[in-house]
Amino acid sequence: MSTPTSIRPVVPAGPQPVAVEPAPRQPARWSVRRARRRADDQPPRGIVSDAERRTPSVRVALQLIHATLLALLLVIGLGPILWLVKASISTTQDTLRSPMALFPSGVDWANLATAWTRVHIDLHFANSMIIASGSWLVQLIVATTGGYALSILRPRYGPVLYWLVLSTLFVPAVVLLVPLYLTVLDPPLLGVSLINTFWAVWLPAGANAFNVLLTKRFFDNLPREIFDAARIDGAGPYRIFWSVLLPMSRPILGVVSVFAFIAAWKDFLWPLLVLPNPDVQPLSVRLPTLARSTELDVLLAALMISALIPMVLFLVFQRTFLRSAGLSGALKG
Amino acid sequence: MRSIRKAATAVSAVLIAAGLLAACSASPGQPDAGGKTAITVVSLKPGSEQSAFDAFENQVKQFEAANPDIDVTSQEYEWTGPTFTAQLAGGTLPTVFTVPFTDGKSLIERGQLADLSQYVRAFGYADKFNPTVLRSGQSADGGIFGVPTAAYGVGLHYNRTLFTQAGLDPDKPPTTWDEVRSYAKQIAERTGQAGYAQMTQENTGGWMLTSLTYALGGRMQVANGDKVEATIDNPGAREALTRLREMRWQDNSMGSNFLYDWGSINQEFAAGRIGMIMAGSDIYESLVQQNNIKPADYGLAVLPLAPGGSAGLLGGGTLAAVNVKASPKQQAAAAKWIDFYYMSKFLKQDAAVLDAKTLSESKQPVGLPKLPIFDKATLDQYNQWIKPYVNVPLAQMRSFNEGIFDQELAGEPTAHTQEMYAVLDTVVQAVLTDPGANIDELLSTADSDVQAILDRG
Amino acid sequence: MRTWVRRGGLSTLVFLLPLLVIFGVFSWLPIVRAAVMSVQQTNLVTAPKFVGLENFQSVLADPLFWTAVRNTGVFALIALVFGYPIPLVVAVLMGEVRRFRGLLSAIAYLPVVVPPVVAVLMWKFFYDARPDGVFNTILGWVGLGPYRWLQSATTAMPSLVLEATWAAAGGTVIIYLAALIGVPAELYDAADVDGASIWQKIWHVTLPQLRGVLLVTLILQIIGTSQVFLEPFLFTGGGPANSTLTVLLLIYNYAFGSSLGGDYGAATALSLMLAVFLAALSAVYFWLTRSWSTS
Repeated sequence: MSTPTSIRPVVPAGPQPVAVEPAPRQPARWSVRRARRRADDQPPRGIVSDAERRTPSVRVALQLIHATLLALLLVIGLGPILWLVKASISTTQDTLRSPMALFPSGVDWANLATAWTRVHIDLHFANSMIIASGSWLVQLIVATTGGYALSILRPRYGPVLYWLVLSTLFVPAVVLLVPLYLTVLDPPLLGVSLINTFWAVWLPAGANAFNVLLTKRFFDNLPREIFDAARIDGAGPYRIFWSVLLPMSRPILGVVSVFAFIAAWKDFLWPLLVLPNPDVQPLSVRLPTLARSTELDVLLAALMISALIPMVLFLVFQRTFLRSAGLSGALKG
Repeated sequence: MRSIRKAATAVSAVLIAAGLLAACSASPGQPDAGGKTAITVVSLKPGSEQSAFDAFENQVKQFEAANPDIDVTSQEYEWTGPTFTAQLAGGTLPTVFTVPFTDGKSLIERGQLADLSQYVRAFGYADKFNPTVLRSGQSADGGIFGVPTAAYGVGLHYNRTLFTQAGLDPDKPPTTWDEVRSYAKQIAERTGQAGYAQMTQENTGGWMLTSLTYALGGRMQVANGDKVEATIDNPGAREALTRLREMRWQDNSMGSNFLYDWGSINQEFAAGRIGMIMAGSDIYESLVQQNNIKPADYGLAVLPLAPGGSAGLLGGGTLAAVNVKASPKQQAAAAKWIDFYYMSKFLKQDAAVLDAKTLSESKQPVGLPKLPIFDKATLDQYNQWIKPYVNVPLAQMRSFNEGIFDQELAGEPTAHTQEMYAVLDTVVQAVLTDPGANIDELLSTADSDVQAILDRG
Repeated sequence: MRTWVRRGGLSTLVFLLPLLVIFGVFSWLPIVRAAVMSVQQTNLVTAPKFVGLENFQSVLADPLFWTAVRNTGVFALIALVFGYPIPLVVAVLMGEVRRFRGLLSAIAYLPVVVPPVVAVLMWKFFYDARPDGVFNTILGWVGLGPYRWLQSATTAMPSLVLEATWAAAGGTVIIYLAALIGVPAELYDAADVDGASIWQKIWHVTLPQLRGVLLVTLILQIIGTSQVFLEPFLFTGGGPANSTLTVLLLIYNYAFGSSLGGDYGAATALSLMLAVFLAALSAVYFWLTRSWSTS
């Protein structure tokens, strides 16, 4: 739902239930930082009270549950990924004959290099990055400028337009698959097919009503006085946008960015359709093709590399990720 | 904040450049680049060995040297239904591409292929083709829109190493379907690998079920005046499915994977995990280029045909075709490429030698068993020419090379072939994954489903 | 006109331009086009022809349509059984952890960042039906199996759901965790004063407070699962014997499955039918989030 192209079963990472709102009348940055500190250093009390925690039976039970939880999470969440790491440096024969054994015939580092160079994971990784960055930029431009116009400039036809944008939320991505494909084949006015160009992925990604909704709501909650003051100081709409609005919008831009990047990185069906040329395909589209022709050990190495990159990004930007995924409540300060 | 903005500006500059570049490089065949005629041609299947691509590029260079006014760009290519449709609709097909015999007629009727008659006539071999082979690339009035470049017959490919391990003689492949069954059982029991496996996905299940049905004396379609009747519910198909069921559920000799398409079964076979498969006689090239098969493992035999006049060997082939959207100049250049890359080696000694030499220098397979697209004498002549360069284990393909010309070749069904195969995929999958599958019921349902497709026209 | 410009009408339009162009070309236009195409016979090759409701009729008459609807329903249902309660339980337990909560939620979320294609290809190997397959080896240690996983019409769909749940549950856990943090401490304090047990607090405080989130994730999950494509496409291609053919896969097959030009009319007709169903759900979702975030 979140982009016209991301089709993903089970809870999509997209819409989140809590609207991100800035703390009114305070420089946004401060309130966010303070909220973060509060959330981490002193977690609010949970279901079990301190008194209950002191009861031996509850304490033992809790500890037992926590140990089990940790063990299960490690096995289920981390297990498959660790296995992939192991398999990516094992020989094909080992992986097939005894998939759970640790390197019965030694470590095969060559797989990684083969995957990176001969199978051209490097090229497809670069394509993935280009696609994700472009989609991110287009989404950011559309969401911030549109949100600004609708929320701050408020033209008379604004509500109708906003309604038109929001109504696309009700149209699932599937419906657009075929007509959007035809549009990209022969875009109006342009006269050049966008097939096999990155534009075919970038531009449709921008038509994301959820982003507009998020930014507009965020802007709606910014104190109007700041804009009025800037206007009285003689700042025009462009200057207000660039020097007043954007600097205050960091939290929401972060959230939109994470959504945009994840969605672009995960997208499969749309790039599969519009990027038939292997030279411009992202990892997600290329890997299934490679799976049919690449030897198992090299394929698993390629999979490992492809999984590793977003995982490292996640671990580095963990806070932003998790915040976007659900901790937005803390932003309310 | 400022840093984010700076980053955004920088990223956007890079991206716009990237977008423009991609737009340039990916638009197929701008008509006249620098006074030259630019065409895009399909090269090899994705994931082929680098050396195979090198050999291909050498041939491109040879062609460009002989035709300095033509600029050839190559693009990897593997014909599969969905990607082909998307490329056809998207107008992203290269100038020269290949399609299976089964799709030739419909593509020609829909005006999707360029008329190549004048070029092929000019090359001088328009009337030398085996007429039945050429027909798949011809329009109703005899115009040539697709040039047959290769013909195959379905063969039985087997792994000689597994045969030896199972105590079978690798020089004596099975000659009846009962032997196929008992050999498969022996391989499965003694080596732990799948004795026999069958394609089931992406229409290949229907393709191979049809092959097996032909071999057992059945046919899937009958032309009845100008109406085509589905005859899927026939004794041959029933026997085919019953044999599969016995191997799968009584002997348990078919391994544990029953969702194979063309690429994945080749991969498993080349990796030595399957004893025998049915496939087109031309797969060795791909087994080498994509799947790194050990040549010593490979054996190819003719498919056992049931006794009696009605059994036939399913055959098909590949047409080279030219994008109808290409300019006349490009079409002429494309025809030259087809002549150079696919055709002239069969008719001219110097072309045959050059082709074989180029391939063998890059260690690409030379001397694969072929079925004649002209006549047998021409093919024999060609095989004579390339003899010094042959590097495939021909002795291991002897059963096929000797037996194929005694077999009754039967073309693939012609009406809505791929759609019929899609329906049959389901039938084969059901038999191989459900011990309680009712073969009679499956066949009669498939029969009426396919009849509905045929009636829709 | 001049006053319009002076009042900033022009600059407003400049700011709206990206939105207007992008939404116009890549959202509104295709939506209109979908509606038009659903009543046309079109394959991009021959000229489109108006056929009224024929596309809808032919989709409804296609035996595969009902197979696909049933399979999608089964997928959604199993996904609900696996994927709905487990994240809730995990989140509630995790909410009580005082140390390492960051670490725990990072581990729980890790599968979500694995690219879906990588996850599917990896799990496809886990589901190897040989006794030496990964899952069959593990289950063999405790004397279970070997199972046929993707190679049987009865187990293929649950196998798909299992992977999809693994890949997505972490996101749900994080959403629940966020909501749990939002439960006012005073409510628990009050419950403690009343002498409520832990179970009673969960039942009478936590769950009612999470009601909104639970409903929203429920609807989100149904919306998501009705559009499942990647798993059946990459795991099984819809097999064995159409047992994992989903609605979206059928749409894809209509449009792109035949090598001779697709039936785009049938594809858009089926898309529109799915859209009506999803739009109804989205409306509920939208209404819920609105009333919930304003309350």
